[in-house]
Amino acid sequence: MKRVTANLKCCWICPTVLLSLFVFVGPPAIAFPQEQITKEELLVLPGEVGRPGGRLVVSLRGEPKTLNPLIAADARSREVIGVMQADLVHINRARQQTEPALAKSWKISPDGLSYTIVLRQGLKFSDGQPLDADDVLFTFRVYLDENVHAPQRDLLIVSGKPITVRKADAHTVVFQLAKTYGVGERLFDGLAILPRHLLEKPYQEGKLGQSGSLATAADQWAGLGPFRLKEYVAGQRLVLERNPYYWKSDAQGNRLPYVDELVFLFVPNADAQVLKFQSGETDMISQLGAENFSVLSRQQRGYTMTDAGPGLEYNFLFFNLNDAGEKTSPEMQRKQKWFREVKFRQAVSAAVDREAIVRLVYQGRGAALWGLVAPGNRRWGNEKLPHPAWSFERARALLKEAGFSWSNGPNGESTLLDSDGKPVEFSILTSSSNADRAKMAALIQDDLKQLGMRVQVVPLESRSLLDRVTQSRDYDACIMGIASYDADPNSDISVWLSSGGLHLWNPSQAHPATPWEAEIDRLIEEQMSARTFEQRKKLYDRAQEILAENQPMIFLASPNILAGAKNSIGNFRPAVLEPYVLWNVEQLYLKNGTENATR
Amino acid sequence: MRVRRVLTRWLVTLGVLHGIVGFAGFFAPYDPVEQDRKSPYLPPMRFHLIDGQGHFHARPFVYALKLREGSFDRYVENTTEPQPVRFFMKGARYRLLGFLPCRRHLFGLENTRIYLLGTDAYGRDQLSRLLFGGQVSLLAGLLGAGITLSIGLCIGAVAGSFGGWRDSLLMRLAELFMALPWLYVLFAIRAFLPLAVSPLRAFFLIITVIGIVGWARPARLVRGVVLSAKERDFVRAARGFGATHGYLFRRHILPETSSVLLTQAAILIPQYVLAEMTLSFLGLGVPEPVPSWGNLLSSLQQYSVLVSYWWIYLPALAMVPFFLGYLGLASSLQERGAAYKIESRIWGI
Amino acid sequence: MRYLVRRLGHAFFLLAGASVLAFLFTALAPGTYFDEMRLNPQIAPETVAALRAQYGVDKPLPLRYASWLNSVLHGDMGFSFAYNGPVAPLLVVRARNTLLLTITSTLFAWAIALPLGVWSAERLGRLSDRLLSWGTAVLLVIPDLALALGLLIVAVRSGWFPTGGMASVDFETLSPANKLRDLALHMILPVTALVLSTLPLLVRHVRASVADVLDAPFLLAALGHGIPKRTLLYRYALPAAANPLISLFGFSIGVLLSGSLLIEVVMSWPGLGPLLLEAILARDLYVVIGGMLFSTFFLVGGNLFADMLLYWADPRIRAESNAR
Repeated sequence: MKRVTANLKCCWICPTVLLSLFVFVGPPAIAFPQEQITKEELLVLPGEVGRPGGRLVVSLRGEPKTLNPLIAADARSREVIGVMQADLVHINRARQQTEPALAKSWKISPDGLSYTIVLRQGLKFSDGQPLDADDVLFTFRVYLDENVHAPQRDLLIVSGKPITVRKADAHTVVFQLAKTYGVGERLFDGLAILPRHLLEKPYQEGKLGQSGSLATAADQWAGLGPFRLKEYVAGQRLVLERNPYYWKSDAQGNRLPYVDELVFLFVPNADAQVLKFQSGETDMISQLGAENFSVLSRQQRGYTMTDAGPGLEYNFLFFNLNDAGEKTSPEMQRKQKWFREVKFRQAVSAAVDREAIVRLVYQGRGAALWGLVAPGNRRWGNEKLPHPAWSFERARALLKEAGFSWSNGPNGESTLLDSDGKPVEFSILTSSSNADRAKMAALIQDDLKQLGMRVQVVPLESRSLLDRVTQSRDYDACIMGIASYDADPNSDISVWLSSGGLHLWNPSQAHPATPWEAEIDRLIEEQMSARTFEQRKKLYDRAQEILAENQPMIFLASPNILAGAKNSIGNFRPAVLEPYVLWNVEQLYLKNGTENATR
Repeated sequence: MRVRRVLTRWLVTLGVLHGIVGFAGFFAPYDPVEQDRKSPYLPPMRFHLIDGQGHFHARPFVYALKLREGSFDRYVENTTEPQPVRFFMKGARYRLLGFLPCRRHLFGLENTRIYLLGTDAYGRDQLSRLLFGGQVSLLAGLLGAGITLSIGLCIGAVAGSFGGWRDSLLMRLAELFMALPWLYVLFAIRAFLPLAVSPLRAFFLIITVIGIVGWARPARLVRGVVLSAKERDFVRAARGFGATHGYLFRRHILPETSSVLLTQAAILIPQYVLAEMTLSFLGLGVPEPVPSWGNLLSSLQQYSVLVSYWWIYLPALAMVPFFLGYLGLASSLQERGAAYKIESRIWGI
Repeated sequence: MRYLVRRLGHAFFLLAGASVLAFLFTALAPGTYFDEMRLNPQIAPETVAALRAQYGVDKPLPLRYASWLNSVLHGDMGFSFAYNGPVAPLLVVRARNTLLLTITSTLFAWAIALPLGVWSAERLGRLSDRLLSWGTAVLLVIPDLALALGLLIVAVRSGWFPTGGMASVDFETLSPANKLRDLALHMILPVTALVLSTLPLLVRHVRASVADVLDAPFLLAALGHGIPKRTLLYRYALPAAANPLISLFGFSIGVLLSGSLLIEVVMSWPGLGPLLLEAILARDLYVVIGGMLFSTFFLVGGNLFADMLLYWADPRIRAESNAR
């Protein structure tokens, strides 16, 4: 009898325990198995909480050419891709510092050569397929593949050797560099993680270049960005819809983005953008010129214009300093003799009225520049760089020292003559589509006239212009502008290095043509591998000084970042880094609810 | 004759208008390329006779404009200092008709600059640019028409005099040229020519291109006149007397074509001026800083200028008196021609 | 009949000649378009090779012309680099937009010019006629550049009209009736500019030819018969005066594609004009050639149409050609 009772007790306790376990733990475990296995690790964004719903309309100057990050070379495509894709580590455009994105965390090894990146778990692409380390591996394999010719490849080559990637486990990836890279994790910003499940097959067939065209069906394309493709109407607009699997949420736990639809309207030019914004057809406007900003600021009906302060764009005049081969005409050689003379370039720089440029071209919303680092870059500017004042006397003195002289013409105007007695005449190329630079060219033309130089301004279509400067090298001087995409010097590397494609006065050199260019190369390479910010800044400062001494680029001015948005848009905080108003698109919301308020 | 009086009236009007433009150096107060960087987009100054204190001035005066505080394109009149307008002042040097050095201008101010039509983005006086720009545009029209009519005369004369296969070939070619869309061809040719040339060469390039494209219609008309003139009795008689081709052509046929050519000139010149304006407006014409009526208007392609600075539009209307003059000239020439020749109706002038 | 055949042959010859000129243009213009194409990763290498073979860059000139003509006749008008696609569909869409504008304005212009011209010819020499003459003279001397810019300023200042473009943001979502209304609203300004620029010349020509005919004895006889004035003008005088007017109408048809370039550019109407201008500035050769060919086709076609119309409408022409 006792034995039976003991058995009964055992028998009674075990099932009870089991049953209670089953009741309290089992159903949840059985009914929602995914939560325990791969819980979504969302990134929680601090800041104002908005309300969901509505449609955001922005205008795009021109049409994007593709949705594929591997091919996108033009700015419009990059703007659109930016809201459809996501990267591992992202640079917060407002703070200009890195923050975790798809990567939950990262660790840099003590020797600085390996980066261990831990992915967030449970994330999905916009078509519902899960994200894991295999996608990251595939992405970087494609970026680094020479046959793909991805523009990102150059960014992943450190001191001549490409980065290697290996998978540590399902959610951890390790990147190995050949040399320490001062840029650090910033290098991952903008490198979109591609969906392996969609692109592996085209990659193996060699047809990656043809994927991701705008005509792709919405369910055949996916990304990790806040929006995914909904509809494309050629010549008119691109409609994106909210990505229901987006991996960010606000402080209250609501999944971002707030708005349901993002529409990109294609407009032919900047003026059309202004008209659409003024009439209420679009909700935000950015990349505004100063004159249009004034026009819009005059009557702010239902919208507010914001001057976000100095940006990172730098405009400059440069001369053709390409190595003279046998193909150069004697005419060109004669002109290059002037251009190569440092005092000539310094004289031109002294003669340029930068203050007038800021006033007449940017209506005061800009800053004069004497170096490559624009005022919008808070950390990297060299404060000790000299800012010589506008002075014709100094310019004339420099020219006289260089062997130039003046002859007096019949009408009282003087002509500058070189040491052989030939008059100094050359042409400045400028892009026909950029009214600001055309104005700068006209002002500089007038300034140089005071020195006796006869300058012609030749507007050229931007593609032909780039072709002339970088390919056929058939020009005298040119005015161009570059907007750095990041405050870090690394973003301008192809301008600094003599082998760079944007080293405009003499691009893609095999060996540095002058000792100072060789010195700059050395400084820039060194600062790329330096570990601390102080080390890098010292080297970069010195590079800026050498540039200022030799003036291959005569820096002119930098515009402020001007933008505007309807008053009904919440969380509108324009930044000075691209994309100026869409960098926090997932946090933008409509205050009036689901109606998109029109005029 | 009444027709003659009307013709003279139009000729005189055109002469005066062209004279003003031709003597632009005198009528314009300043050099057209001189920049005044402190006064971009200044609105036109107004003449006053009564100043702020209510005093009447016999000599009209203007107020200097200065920038409003904190603004970059809004100006206020400085009413404390009336600036009297001086006439026949000494000013910037220029060359009258291109060779006589001169310094006198019709009007100007002593201490500051007078801007009757406002300024552009660089502070250049719009009135001066209008007058000098007229020189460029009108010259383009006149020279272009000259080229077209010369070519048309030669080809039409050859076709009409010789007849036969030469005639057919040339007339087919003329029809071909008339079948091409004139403006498109002009643009295409202009754009595919080198862009990096000096302003002077660009100017002549444009004139040549404009002139060459339009030879077909005058050639056809000249041919018609030559054909009909060949059959006239007095020409036949002269041929009967043993006159050579050259003599016939010079003495009898050529004068007949003069009426056609003049009428065509009066029609073509404004067309060509408009073509030059269109080319310059779209950036394919005369380059900066040389002014041309089209150049002056090209900044209107920017929305901000269109909506804020109305005086930039004025050069568009500068052509109007010239057009009117040429239109009147053309009609009175046509009337004169019709009065003398019945054949002109058949050939559809 | 022979007249028509002759005119047809004539038109054909003109088109052929224009195509030769156009082809010479492509052959002589500098640039290595195929090298550019090779650099563009979006275009598969097979496409480049096929195009190269098709255009036969290495063959002699006449053969190249033949192959170029062949491809044009098959609807392939080349490749555009600015738009990264074939030229023909681009041209068709833009030409359609332009035709929408120009056909509307031509109809309006003629509908206004005919009655106005007839009315003026009837009152020849009187005050109303002189006023009209002055009015048309003023309109005639205002360059269409000034007209277009002036209307644009009006639009911008008043805000009543959309300032450019062909359709609003949510065009696709509108009901068909609203779509039509939206299109009409966008068309008002460019059509007005076009009508104002072409009207004065039309009115003058109508007035001149009707005035010529009004002197004719047969009209006096008809008046004597008691036929009312309006019937007299429109059913007797106008047809007699039709000859030069039909040629003019043919010309109007001829410039349907090319006459509105400036107005389209100024008013941002997405037609053939802005496309051509962009192509010219971007040295996009095949678009320029294609555009020119299209317009030439219309010009020649317009003249041919006018000739046909003349043949059908004017018995004198028929008699003349049959007599030969």
